[in-house]
Amino acid sequence: MTLFTNTKYTLKLGALALFLGLGSCQEYLNVEPQDQLNKDQVYRDVFDADAAVVGIYGKFMGLAEKYVVLNELRADLVSPTYNAGPFYTQLSEHSVTAENPYASPKDFYEVINNCNDALKNFDLMRADNRLDSNEYNERYSDIGTLRSWLYLQLGIHYGQVPYITEPVENLNDIRNLNQYPRIQFEELLNELITFTEGLPYTDTYSANSTLLIDVDGYNTGKFFINKECLLGDLHLWRGNYVQAASHYKVVLETASDSGSDSERYDVYRVKYAEIASNNDLAVGYIRYREQDAQALINNNTQGWRSMFSREPDALWNTEWIWSLPFDSSFAPENPFINLFSNQNGNYLLKPSQEAMNLWEDQTQLNGFPYDARGSKFSYSMINGDPVIMKYLYNYLDPVSQLPVDVFQRDGRWFLYRAAKLHLRYAEAANRDGQHRLADALLNYGLQNEYTVEGVEDVTDIEQTNLPFPYDFDARQGDFPFYRGNWYRNGGLRGRAYLERAPVYGDSLISIENNLIEEAALELAFEGNRWGDLVRVAIHRNDPAFLADKIYAKLNAQGNAEASAVRTKLMSQENWYLPFVWNDEE
Amino acid sequence: MIYLNKHTRIFTAGIALLAMLSCSDPWEEHSATTDVNLNSTLNQRITATAETSEFGALLEETGYDKVLAGSKTYTVWAPTNEAMATIEADALADASAKKLFIENHIALTAFSSVTEVDTLTVQMLSHKYLEFKNGSVMADADVVTADQYASNGLFHIIDKALVPKQNIWEYLNTDASAYAMSSFLIDLNEFNLYQSDSTAKATAALMPELFSDSLTNSFFTNVYNLNNEQNKYTFFLMEDEAYQSEVQKLEPYLIKSNEDSTTTYASYFTVRDLAFHKAIARQNLPDTLTSKFGVKVPIDTNAIVEEVQLSNGIVYVMRSLDVPLETRLLTTLIEGEEPSGFSQGDKRGNTYYREKEDPDGELFYDIMVQNHEVPLFSIYYNANNLYSTTYEVYWRAINDIQSNTFQQRLRFGGTIQEDGTVTDPIATLDYTDVPPNTYEEIYIGEFTLDQAGMLDLISLIATNTSSTGANTLTLDYLKLVPVIK
Repeated sequence: MTLFTNTKYTLKLGALALFLGLGSCQEYLNVEPQDQLNKDQVYRDVFDADAAVVGIYGKFMGLAEKYVVLNELRADLVSPTYNAGPFYTQLSEHSVTAENPYASPKDFYEVINNCNDALKNFDLMRADNRLDSNEYNERYSDIGTLRSWLYLQLGIHYGQVPYITEPVENLNDIRNLNQYPRIQFEELLNELITFTEGLPYTDTYSANSTLLIDVDGYNTGKFFINKECLLGDLHLWRGNYVQAASHYKVVLETASDSGSDSERYDVYRVKYAEIASNNDLAVGYIRYREQDAQALINNNTQGWRSMFSREPDALWNTEWIWSLPFDSSFAPENPFINLFSNQNGNYLLKPSQEAMNLWEDQTQLNGFPYDARGSKFSYSMINGDPVIMKYLYNYLDPVSQLPVDVFQRDGRWFLYRAAKLHLRYAEAANRDGQHRLADALLNYGLQNEYTVEGVEDVTDIEQTNLPFPYDFDARQGDFPFYRGNWYRNGGLRGRAYLERAPVYGDSLISIENNLIEEAALELAFEGNRWGDLVRVAIHRNDPAFLADKIYAKLNAQGNAEASAVRTKLMSQENWYLPFVWNDEE
Repeated sequence: MIYLNKHTRIFTAGIALLAMLSCSDPWEEHSATTDVNLNSTLNQRITATAETSEFGALLEETGYDKVLAGSKTYTVWAPTNEAMATIEADALADASAKKLFIENHIALTAFSSVTEVDTLTVQMLSHKYLEFKNGSVMADADVVTADQYASNGLFHIIDKALVPKQNIWEYLNTDASAYAMSSFLIDLNEFNLYQSDSTAKATAALMPELFSDSLTNSFFTNVYNLNNEQNKYTFFLMEDEAYQSEVQKLEPYLIKSNEDSTTTYASYFTVRDLAFHKAIARQNLPDTLTSKFGVKVPIDTNAIVEEVQLSNGIVYVMRSLDVPLETRLLTTLIEGEEPSGFSQGDKRGNTYYREKEDPDGELFYDIMVQNHEVPLFSIYYNANNLYSTTYEVYWRAINDIQSNTFQQRLRFGGTIQEDGTVTDPIATLDYTDVPPNTYEEIYIGEFTLDQAGMLDLISLIATNTSSTGANTLTLDYLKLVPVIK
């Protein structure tokens, strides 16, 4: 123990330690992290701006699951399975509590905040010329539109939300009513329309943009939001039907100036079925075997089903307007396999009985008493359970219905496609008094509607003869020769091989009912249904439109709460989720 | 380096101090066992418990003390010494009986008396399944003391020994072997009722360790495996006189090439309707039970002579069990969309398997062959288990996409020759109209079978023309209704 008597050394050692301790903190412990960027390392040039855009879309993809769950489970086409916990049942029965993680709008605001941050910095970059005006316009408009899309979703689900356009330091402050007052949905729509209409650029990224590239085998062209589509949606929600139709019409005519015939006639036109080759996106049978149920075109490369499973080729491009891919090799992970598959998935959501009935109530042109888009395509019975298939075609083997490779969980988030565009456009046109046009797009297409039987010279027929945005030329004549841009349009029910949807009584209401029902048949499980129900209920000022649909779903599955839920949904304030989240989230 | 050396000493001192502090091991203290029960194995604890010492002694005698001293986890339901004293002598007659007896009290893994389910079905080491109800009743014994534990599992003390029971098949082979019905069933170990039975038996004999015993007897293969401990069955064993009269009643409908086989098949068609899935207690027996084959069997509880509880169900010995021919003889239904073949294989493109709705909205599945341009084109079907009697024939054939009436006919039996023609049919019915949009079932005619069994060629034949629209074939189903002689 003599060691400790040597106090001189102990003191020296202590002094040294003290000196090191005081002198070092600021300097040599302050190492620059190698996997993160500092504030002064971002937003330096256009490539940093691109990184910000791509990063925001990456973050945005994290909302895919929530988007589909909220928009489908709250509506009438999807039910929770026996595996789903109480939070899913709450959404389905409209009794959402504050703890329900799906109720929290926080993750929407996280992405909105990222958008706000990027928009602010794009302004700064433009101010000192780190971006030229084209680069700035494209990126600013893209992120601005994406933000408007997010706010539209918030408005649909929460009714009143704070509209924040500046970056926020602490997201939890957003809950503070005094700091961030909430505005009504209508007012929000006005704000969104003003902002989005004011954006400097409305087209898709130009062909020479640094954001249009092939990355990891995916072309980025359809990754980004279509601004005209969102503008159409905003105006449609707000009840500005002509403006809505005008914006949609711009998208419908995307390929009208294309030099390639197949692009000009096919892109976003909802083309008729190729009955000989079956290389189309239509419900079809092998030719001359239409009476044989086993001759249904049901594979990943042909027919209606293939639009959800095919590689993004030319045909894919004729339908898809906005879709983001999930790849097993990269984050974020594809959430849909867990959500829907009962093979190596959690199997939480299934098609509702009501949805299945809707498809069973249709009659195909060959007399088969169903719509093949239902039990043949959109869902399948696997081990006795109905399984939503739209997201699983590339995951499950079509014959064995087992995963091809459980680690191969690629998939897609389906956000906007031509069928949806046609339905939305038809809804706007119908509201604007263009019933015939809406009915034509819904049923067998423009040529079929505007033709005159037995007339060979089509110079004056097979077209709408209406001003923009209702001008369509679907002429197909050989003497004299005409091929109007719309001559291949086959209508949605024509493409689905279904009998015409009948119109009863008031054609506005009747056609709108048909359009909304067709949206259920065509777009089921893609995350549009709740919005459709809310929008039409608001336009008709008739909560029963929405309440009856939810009642029908719950009633069809024998839910004792059905009547109580209907009563509740008869007042509009009960359509919305509670605007809450926990600090820990 | 002197400087460093001096400081090294200070460091050394620090480390020494740390080492001194850590001499006691708190982790050791934390995880040490203090419960003495956990220091002995199940076997030791059962033997040491005064109440169950007899059972403990038997454990040692059979060598199961070694098993229960092992590292796997077990649950033992140990009977008290009083319970052991009341066991009938033959239950413990020899070494193998004793071993089975012990095995019937032990199960792998721990089954506590505290569970969420009210009835647990436990597989014992004897491969019998016993029901552990609410943690307080094991089979028919009450638990006296529950949840005694040892290092490798649990034991419950029960007031009654769990003497292993026979299963239905063991019972039929031993105690009930004198009955004519039992001996018929045992004969089915050797006798093959159907072609497929012989293949099954050959496979089972080849690799007995791989395939279950359900392949070894024709009754097991075609009806239920009465030797299976994992399921429960109800079986009606008829006394000889009643059994013989049922067999005789069926014989005219099961005529085969010789009298012996006629009797065999009549016997089989009698007994196949007497086994039912699930054990049905006497008080729950309904008036009528429906057999696996769809025969409605009337049950008269007054005719029960004896009721035997067995490990995989119940056997009721019956004084009489009279099944009227009207319900015994089954109608054969042949689905149009399930053909066995076609007269030529190149017309798949003209063959439509359809899913449609009739005017009442009822979904139906059918087959239609159209535009094939082959005179006398035929679809082939087959049918099993037909009786030697006259059959009335009905069909539902739907002609909904043509506007004209066409004709088709049925032919029963015959042999396909090399040139495709069919010779020596049993019967060929007349061409019958298939008018458009008729959804009713139609009577077509009748034919008579001299011998019971399989009819491997039933042909639906188109008209003798190649003209499209006139030689269409369509069939939803064929219905063959046996006529009582």
